[in-house]
Amino acid sequence: MVTPIGIGVTPFWDSLHHGRGGIRAIRAFDVSNLPTRIAGEVEGFDAKKFVDKKDRKSLRVMSRPIQLAVAAAQLALDDANVNKESLDPTRFGCEFGAGLLPTEPEELGPASLVSTNCAPGQVDMKAWGDKGLEAVPPLWMLKYLPNMLACHVSILHNAQGPNNSITESDAAGLLALGEAARILRRNQADFFLVGGGDSKINPISLTRHCLFGLMSRHNDDPERACRPFDRRRDGWVIGEGAGVLTVEDLEHAKRRGAAIYAEVVGFGAAFDKARKGDGIVRAIKSAMTQANIGASDLDHVNAHGLSTVDADIWEAAGLRGYFGDRKVPVLAVKSYLGSVGAASGIIELAASILALKHGVVPRSLNFEEPDPAGPVSVLCEPKRVEKPYFLKISFTDMGQCAAVVCRRWE
Amino acid sequence: MRKRVVITGMGAISPLGHSVEQLYRNQIEGRSGVGPISIFDASTMPTKFAGEVKGFELGRWVKDPARWRDSGSNSRFAAAAAQQALEDAGLIGNTSVDRTRFGVYLGSGEGIQDFPNMISMIAKSYQQDKNAVNAVSFTSEGMKRFHAGREFEQELHTTPGHLADYFDLEGPNYNCLTACAASSQAIGEASEMIRQGDADLMLSGGAHSMIHPFGVTGFVRLTALSTLNEAPEKASRPFDLNRDGFVLGEGAGVLVLEELEHAKKRGATIHAEVTGYGSTADAFRITDSHEEGRGAIACIAGAMADSGLKPEDIGYINAHGTSTQVNDFVETLAIKKVFGERAYQIPVSSSKSMLGHLIAAAGAVELITCVLAIRYGVLPPTINYETPDPECDLDYVPNTAREKRVDHVLSNSFGFGGQNVSLIVSRY
Repeated sequence: MVTPIGIGVTPFWDSLHHGRGGIRAIRAFDVSNLPTRIAGEVEGFDAKKFVDKKDRKSLRVMSRPIQLAVAAAQLALDDANVNKESLDPTRFGCEFGAGLLPTEPEELGPASLVSTNCAPGQVDMKAWGDKGLEAVPPLWMLKYLPNMLACHVSILHNAQGPNNSITESDAAGLLALGEAARILRRNQADFFLVGGGDSKINPISLTRHCLFGLMSRHNDDPERACRPFDRRRDGWVIGEGAGVLTVEDLEHAKRRGAAIYAEVVGFGAAFDKARKGDGIVRAIKSAMTQANIGASDLDHVNAHGLSTVDADIWEAAGLRGYFGDRKVPVLAVKSYLGSVGAASGIIELAASILALKHGVVPRSLNFEEPDPAGPVSVLCEPKRVEKPYFLKISFTDMGQCAAVVCRRWE
Repeated sequence: MRKRVVITGMGAISPLGHSVEQLYRNQIEGRSGVGPISIFDASTMPTKFAGEVKGFELGRWVKDPARWRDSGSNSRFAAAAAQQALEDAGLIGNTSVDRTRFGVYLGSGEGIQDFPNMISMIAKSYQQDKNAVNAVSFTSEGMKRFHAGREFEQELHTTPGHLADYFDLEGPNYNCLTACAASSQAIGEASEMIRQGDADLMLSGGAHSMIHPFGVTGFVRLTALSTLNEAPEKASRPFDLNRDGFVLGEGAGVLVLEELEHAKKRGATIHAEVTGYGSTADAFRITDSHEEGRGAIACIAGAMADSGLKPEDIGYINAHGTSTQVNDFVETLAIKKVFGERAYQIPVSSSKSMLGHLIAAAGAVELITCVLAIRYGVLPPTINYETPDPECDLDYVPNTAREKRVDHVLSNSFGFGGQNVSLIVSRY
């Protein structure tokens, strides 16, 4: 875990356990002209600490989301206590969720200067070809390709098995996990690094998302800005980070004497065309059917909980569509760290996995007053884990939905 | 037992035309779709040509083209190719199939960045002495100049999202982007979802265009593109001794994948069966493939093992064949390693000699080419093959199409960064 509320499993859990959120005023660059000036930043991140000395040169061709993912992958391998030498490289796969990786604008600074007179929207293409081009760093493009998270991880750890990069926005992480589980079940791999990495805290991405107009403007009170399902929510908050899980075939894990956190017992995916929750219900149904359990077996639901007005109503309708009047406790991890986009599903899932391990589910932050338009029984206080299963949901603004059911390992 | 997956619909938008039929005819005639770049002024670029889709009008294919008004060409090409594939499969407005069991898995590229605004904004806010942009200047310009709709359509999940929404495909929805292997990987994983029973039908394939200033700039700086500006249509020359890089293309290939019994029950026309899928990573370097073809060999071997076929069953290989020095050498090596002496008897050709490289969309358009080879018994040639390379010594179907009945065909796709995918399609 490389997150706004901690780098590494222990600090991450500690923040959740103590109800400490990580959303603050943005410090990465001067955001004073933007309507949204808050986010969950990963502070004090030094990628060098997570990469062997001989491989550090490659950090130069990794933009921040790639570096975050590479660090999280190393942390996951450490946490899983994996002896890499003992893994069969051809059965070691990588599945990562990734988003758009925008260029760091200064990299194109010299090229831009010689190709334009700064008039809005005017570029002299002839000058760009003549003089601009050679001022672009030779490996520039590779720093921003979405598949590079999984590629760098595969190179650093000699993972020669199946390697995919799922680019489905906020649903990417869970979809990647679902695919890795399918590949393990059909016996084309023994061991996977499954994760996601994302950072939109840069001038290009933040501007774009401000333009889309769905972010919170609670700039004066960052810690209380992200309020999933609360009546006074006013938009989502950007988070950055990466989460990586080691996911392996059960027998493989037992053979190497791994400490097992949880078992992935159900997965479902669907498209919610009407955006009224029908797709969410179908994704949950598939995952629950695969897990072979019913609603009463669930300890809690780990929601998408984006904190926009519409998405939370949409999700509430989905939950109601599946659970009816049953009040299943809901955890909304984004209230701590915002939405980490393509990495959100995995980071949030980890919160519930750790809850199973520690026997207590953290509370959601900032839930004060239910929204009559979409009532959800959000956990306002920590609760003891009472049942062995939890359900995790993610979905995108276009309607791609994914659901995962995990079981405590005993 | 795992379920069988068949192809019941195909659609293609490519530099060789706006339909599967045109793609087939032009490939069999050995035509090149490559010419000078017209999308932007590339006259001072080291590479001034590409395989463009010419005269494309989305309105010819869909009733509601306005929905894609702000989309990049990737989503627009995808919509047209999807319409064709669904029509071909008899699935437009077909209410007798369960749309919740009908998913989407694309390997589609990103939308197109706003180059003029981006570059002029960077220039205005760049502080040379600090090698930094003034963020206040950059972001406030951005808020004024970026177009929200067009910016949103760059997001990578919009292409499959539009297809699901417009064509009522409410099953699982995926997009992967593994560079040049993306649409093949999408088809492979979509097939696995059907094999496993997660869906009855999947709309799969890919769409991409990198023929824009950022795309060409990126590849030029990597010295990956051919610079044969004096004869663009001869620039893509896979396996030829004088190959000097790949040629950018653009387009979309979309297929309807369907569970066999489902297809039979509704009386669908079955074009071919997906029988093999292999997927590996080189885990070597981000810029080059492994010199000895480690990942490619394992990938082809994996697809063969998955299909249960023997080397002598493969009648034709549609190569990745990019026309770069390294790829064509390594791919030849890998084919020889997997097929042994038999490799010399298998015709191998590269559609990229005619289409250029459609990047994320390449694999899907090439798999459609494989299906057509099975259907018509004619193998498309590798054009521009003039001087044999002693290190590439297979039968590359040089310059003219060849009549040959084939029952099982292998298609390779190897992505930048080391993802390898091989697919096998078979006569049904």
